[in-house]
Amino acid sequence: MVQTLTSLGSFGIFCMRLLVRTFSPPWNFPELFRQTWRVSLRCVGPVMATTFPFGLVLALQGLQIFDLYGAQRMLPSLVTTAIVRELSPLLACVLVAAQGGSSFAAELGAMRIKEELDATEVMAVDSLRWHVLPRVLALILACPVLQVIGAVLGLTGAWVMAVAIQGEPSGTFFANLWTFTTPTDVAGSAIKSVVFGALIGTISCFRGYYAHGGAAGVGQAVNDTVVQSVLAIFVFNYLITSALTAR
Amino acid sequence: MIDALSWIGRLGIYCFRLFWAVLRYGVPPRRVVEEAYRIGVQSLPVLLVINGFIGSILVIQGYISFAPLGGQQLVGMFVGLAGVREAAPLMAATMIAAKAGTEMASQIAVMNTREQVDALEVMAVNPLAWLVGPRLLGILLVMPAMTTIAIVTTVVAGWLVAQFQLGLDGYQYFLLVQRTLSPLDLMVAQVKALSFGAVICLVSTFCGFVAPRGPEGVGQATNTAVVVCAVISVSINFLISQVAYGG
Amino acid sequence: MADSPVVLSDVHKSFGAMTVLDGVSMDFPAGQTTAVIGPSGTGKSVLLKHIVGLLEPDRGEVRVFGTDMARASESARYAVRKRLGMLFQDGALFDSLTVGENIEFPLVQHRKDLSSTKRRERVAEVLKMVELPGIEARAISSLSGGQRKRVGLARAIVHSPEMVLFDEPNSGLDPMTSDAIDQLIGHLKRSLGITFVVITHDIVSTVNIADRIAMLYGGKLVAWGTVQEVLRSQEPVVRRFFSRNLVLPTGEGEPSLPGPQSG
Repeated sequence: MVQTLTSLGSFGIFCMRLLVRTFSPPWNFPELFRQTWRVSLRCVGPVMATTFPFGLVLALQGLQIFDLYGAQRMLPSLVTTAIVRELSPLLACVLVAAQGGSSFAAELGAMRIKEELDATEVMAVDSLRWHVLPRVLALILACPVLQVIGAVLGLTGAWVMAVAIQGEPSGTFFANLWTFTTPTDVAGSAIKSVVFGALIGTISCFRGYYAHGGAAGVGQAVNDTVVQSVLAIFVFNYLITSALTAR
Repeated sequence: MIDALSWIGRLGIYCFRLFWAVLRYGVPPRRVVEEAYRIGVQSLPVLLVINGFIGSILVIQGYISFAPLGGQQLVGMFVGLAGVREAAPLMAATMIAAKAGTEMASQIAVMNTREQVDALEVMAVNPLAWLVGPRLLGILLVMPAMTTIAIVTTVVAGWLVAQFQLGLDGYQYFLLVQRTLSPLDLMVAQVKALSFGAVICLVSTFCGFVAPRGPEGVGQATNTAVVVCAVISVSINFLISQVAYGG
Repeated sequence: MADSPVVLSDVHKSFGAMTVLDGVSMDFPAGQTTAVIGPSGTGKSVLLKHIVGLLEPDRGEVRVFGTDMARASESARYAVRKRLGMLFQDGALFDSLTVGENIEFPLVQHRKDLSSTKRRERVAEVLKMVELPGIEARAISSLSGGQRKRVGLARAIVHSPEMVLFDEPNSGLDPMTSDAIDQLIGHLKRSLGITFVVITHDIVSTVNIADRIAMLYGGKLVAWGTVQEVLRSQEPVVRRFFSRNLVLPTGEGEPSLPGPQSG
């Protein structure tokens, strides 16, 4: 219990130190772009490979409900809201946590164990500013993009299931695609993906930066990163969804 | 692309060697129970939390989505189809991959780094039978129970939100969940659970064995393991759902 | 040479473009301690891994107790390995087990005929031999570097092997602990009378414990004989390796020998 509080406290301090560096020069833009590009490239495959089958499954189960009421034409409207509001931010960011967050934790952890971070500090270079901050910001920038890609792939999956496999008319599918989706939904999912990106970034870099205990410590850092990021994503998702739907 | 194919090929060879080694050398039952207990205890808390959130999100989204149909009471059905059939088993598997799978990958990568796998070989003990066999049987042993717990958590969390946050009729909710589901659905969920379990163990331990030695290797193994597990699980989930419900 | 437990004939091994072993032929006579020496990166550890069958030669063959390790079936290879013990660089002890369980491990696996009381007696006996009596219940993480080596050594001899292989027994130890390990190896050598193969780059310990020396350089055997023979060798590389004032290039990826240094 005390340990949890202590680690929460040092996590808070870690975030504050990053926040200060975010808003004060010098900024390291080349490194930021490099990390954003790297993490986006790393994550785009897994994100696409999971959101597409999930779109398929969503349409498959959705059709079962609407078949009962003869309301198949409503399927695309509901699938779109489900994908935009919940599925694409959640699934895309869980995959970003698993792929991008954990690889950052692994990198920083290995740098810690091999004393590269200490060496950076000894050379009077701010390791937080140089190694950590670009990674955190990269995740915040990459998550919304990956979420949009995930949403498109999810909708493609739904189309493939409904139109190509189950034979619903394609025209009706596209006509009803955006019926229920409001600007609030789109804005909400953008907010979600930015928040999730920040959670993944800070948690993964915190775990990696403070890794200890040799090679096993790196593994532990990656493990902690994935589990804690996913937990944090779900908690914040629930809070944001509740806030957005409360009238 | 060629990399990915050769990786899959080597994974296939690994599985073949593993089954051969397990048949040839056997697996001590005591170790199976130990691993099953560890995997279960480790993953249970996150599993409960995540599936609790899945249930509550499904109910909130179902409630909003069915409002135009006037069918807010249909949330029970939504939880049955989307939650029990799809999301609960899949998220349970994802969390077990994030918790137990990453640990398998990092443990084996650490043992490989510290020459402990070589030591087993030199002591004439087959590392696959000794290290992987118990983990594989252990995870297969706990997966059905974990998935059942995940399903119950999802349904109960959904009920809590329906009854207390949204003010719906709780009895109606349970009735709809029950009417939507047949024993077949629960069997399909168990088939999914066993497939996910096998995938998690095989992929994670394979990643542990093939990782380069050293701290980076451990991080890399853990990272790859969780992403590949997630991607394969989602795809398998679709295949099983399509076979079971698509016809 | 027929009684040599290990015979290498013309062993070649490369990793990618890097040749690590370039035609090594030698044998390790029974009951003697052979030290394999040479600067880092010259394939000493690779040689050791060939003997236990963890690596397969690209060309040539490695026979251990008459079995060709690369071509033998897995069960034949395991049969050979049950007759040898190996001390790994960092001990390679299992962190999840206690000291006692680690040492007992080979017996539990392969000596199912022994009762657990018998096994524990044997564990206590070998712990006494490595001068760490009574620490069966300790966790691996609580051991110092020297203690790890001793426990690893205890595990390597617990099943009374016919040959023990040592991978850098002195690496990562301070000079005093290193000396103590040398004395322990020398003592075990006298009391057990079995074949020892020691991989090392520590000259002092080589001279202390070895009967014979084989020196590898650039993937080739540049000296091989009794300690006296090798110490008297006129080969420039060997002379430089033994005169500790000069730093020998590590020879990474360059199989050719540098010319003798003047002055």
